[in-house]
Amino acid sequence: MSSLTAVAAAAAAASAAQAPYQTYICEACGYVYDEAVGDPDGGLAPGTRFADIPDDWACPLCGVTKADFTAYAAPSLAVLRARAPASAVAAARGGPAGVLIVGAGRAGWQTAEALRAMDAELPITLVTTCAGDVYDKPLLSVAMARSLNPSALVKESGQNAAARLSVRLLAHTQAVRICSDTRTLRTTRGNLRYDQLVLAHGARAALPANLPPELCWRVNHLAAYQKLRAALGQVATDGPRDVLIVGAGLIGSELANDLALGGHRITLLDAQPEPLARWQGEQAGAQLLQAWKDLSIRFVGGVQVTCLEKLGRQFRVTSSDGQRFVADQVIAAAGLVTPSRLAQSAALAWDQGIAVDAATMRTSVERIHALGDCITVNGQASRYIEPIARQARAIAAAICGAASTPYEPRAATVRVKTTSHPMTLH
Amino acid sequence: MNPNDLPPELSREATAEHFLAAIREASRGPLAAVVESIDRTGYYPRAELQQLGALGAMSAHLDAPAGRGDFGLAIRAMAEASQVCGATGFMMWCQSVLGLYMQASGNPALAGEALMALARGEALGGTAMSNPMKSYAQIETLLLKAKPVEGGYSVSGSLPWVSNLGPDHACGALAGVVDAEGKVVREVMFLLRCNAPGVELPECPSFSAMEGTGTYALRLKDHFIGAGEIMADPAKPFIGRIRSAFVMLQCGMAVGVTQGAIDSIWAVEDQLGHVNQYLDDRPAALQAELDALTARVMKLAETPFNPSVEFFIDVLDARAHGAELSLRAAQSALLHQGARGYLMSSAVQRRVRESHFVAIVTPAIKHLRSEIARLSAEVLPA
Repeated sequence: MSSLTAVAAAAAAASAAQAPYQTYICEACGYVYDEAVGDPDGGLAPGTRFADIPDDWACPLCGVTKADFTAYAAPSLAVLRARAPASAVAAARGGPAGVLIVGAGRAGWQTAEALRAMDAELPITLVTTCAGDVYDKPLLSVAMARSLNPSALVKESGQNAAARLSVRLLAHTQAVRICSDTRTLRTTRGNLRYDQLVLAHGARAALPANLPPELCWRVNHLAAYQKLRAALGQVATDGPRDVLIVGAGLIGSELANDLALGGHRITLLDAQPEPLARWQGEQAGAQLLQAWKDLSIRFVGGVQVTCLEKLGRQFRVTSSDGQRFVADQVIAAAGLVTPSRLAQSAALAWDQGIAVDAATMRTSVERIHALGDCITVNGQASRYIEPIARQARAIAAAICGAASTPYEPRAATVRVKTTSHPMTLH
Repeated sequence: MNPNDLPPELSREATAEHFLAAIREASRGPLAAVVESIDRTGYYPRAELQQLGALGAMSAHLDAPAGRGDFGLAIRAMAEASQVCGATGFMMWCQSVLGLYMQASGNPALAGEALMALARGEALGGTAMSNPMKSYAQIETLLLKAKPVEGGYSVSGSLPWVSNLGPDHACGALAGVVDAEGKVVREVMFLLRCNAPGVELPECPSFSAMEGTGTYALRLKDHFIGAGEIMADPAKPFIGRIRSAFVMLQCGMAVGVTQGAIDSIWAVEDQLGHVNQYLDDRPAALQAELDALTARVMKLAETPFNPSVEFFIDVLDARAHGAELSLRAAQSALLHQGARGYLMSSAVQRRVRESHFVAIVTPAIKHLRSEIARLSAEVLPA
């Protein structure tokens, strides 16, 4: 070694010795190796650099080797505390049991509003898988026609609504099981006691068996709609997209209408020969097709979808008659189904949905009410907006022991929000 | 009478109640005699485990001829032992799932005589699947890597804390199969024999309540596995098939530890009932909750291989409820017993530690809830 190299090496060693000590974490167990401290019991003197640890050294806690360690700097307590609010949810435990509402859609929030109007002190807890933000679901069908930004659809954040109504909100929390014997709701953030339980968890979008969920959108709540809109991009900058919608019922037709008005090219498929076939007697489909003739909506009736597959960055749908459709995004609008998990866990009477007493919205089990999209009255679901407020008032009155007009199911009037040709159907 | 002397046909044909009575006797006799040394000095209860094995306590869930094809019975057997010693209950689970892997593998080299020896308790072993299970739940990355070689794989890497191991033991393990660039392309599951070349078992630091469970780290260096060891390749569909059974069997530990705690509350009721009446979790309420949970688990145990996600969520939730209940029951038992339960020689304080193990062993309560949340979320395009 030349004297010059020796000097350089010595300088490098000196500067390495002065470099601040680093810490490394064991990915198997979380033990942190601190170069300053070393591992004297494991034969590593304080000051032993990670690079100098022999390969056969073992983690003193769990026995894995150096290869399973990575550089790690523990954040300060201040940083950890600052990070917490973003993910914080209201504490799950403690406090009196009170009323527990499952679901933060219109039905859940309306129930909270109605209860709070009758009783200022009643403890109310609301558990929801979503963020709990308050929005008008019907606007998801007309957002493009009205130039509404998807991020601006939230009327009030869940946190604000909870504060306004003094409701304890557990957002991003899955209700898993009702133990009616101990009056407990089991959730993914702990277990909650209740005096009265109100199920307002709604229905979920049905998905035909041959449509893989990871390949097609379903629009039944704000978060899914926002993700769909993000995937579609901006027509002005990204250009129009080919969107294929499977199912030309109410939601499928409204979405086709709105996305076409937003500049996208729509193919709308249905097993029936025309859209809105449920209202064929009122010629709804014929009127709609007439209204759509200048829009980029291609309706293909009488087809059954047999296959949906990914094709590079696009998707291909095959129908039973052998037709093939290629699209940038696929949306399934095949109606709604009511999840049965909670109802089954409490052995609630079930009739195409949670069967409730028409006047009081009471389920078959004591202290459990239900309303909205998850219920049926005499086997009939009524998944519209109008009845929800009346149902919520009936439940609040029953829980608070107040006099109230009993809920009465009425024949629903359906306002079809196909903005190019709005219709009122019966 | 030594149950080892019984012809296996006879013990198989014994009714479920006779079977459980024999497990109870072994648990409350020979096992109870060594519980304190298992806990305090880390005695590994090989003879006691083998006696339980000979009775069929760790093979009741396996299909005949290895077992009785009854998961409910396997869980109840595990509960009997766990009531006396949670650590032994845990080792029974380790051994039981190893048998499950070997039988489900369909590999004649594993599902034949090797399985029979395990089912009879002559061979012992465990499961190194904590890391892979967490990897599937997207909580951890795989620690073992398998390089394809002539006739099999060469496996390297280290795993922390694998239980019911020893020099002549084996365990089910899983490694990520890597391509030439070192990228994991699929997984392979295999039987790992602890005495095979390229396998080391470094000792672990002491574990609370689990010191006698034969828990070691596993260090593999160029360890060869071939056709005789492969359980599943690729492993993912296999894991999907057995995951509910894997988790469900653990309920035996929870049920047993909880029952042990409740019994110890009743044991002091006569003397301390006048003050214990003011405590929160009283024995009758705990028992009612345990009985309801046990009934739920027995129902789930009728269809351990139900492939649906909804069923798996039910199993995960029952397992979580079991962990929560054993924590509450064990703590309540200590509050009920007071100072006498706080003695290091008392099963009551030991059970407090065991119940915490039930709550943190993979899948821990937090993992169970996180997995339920993940599986419940609506799947949408990325």
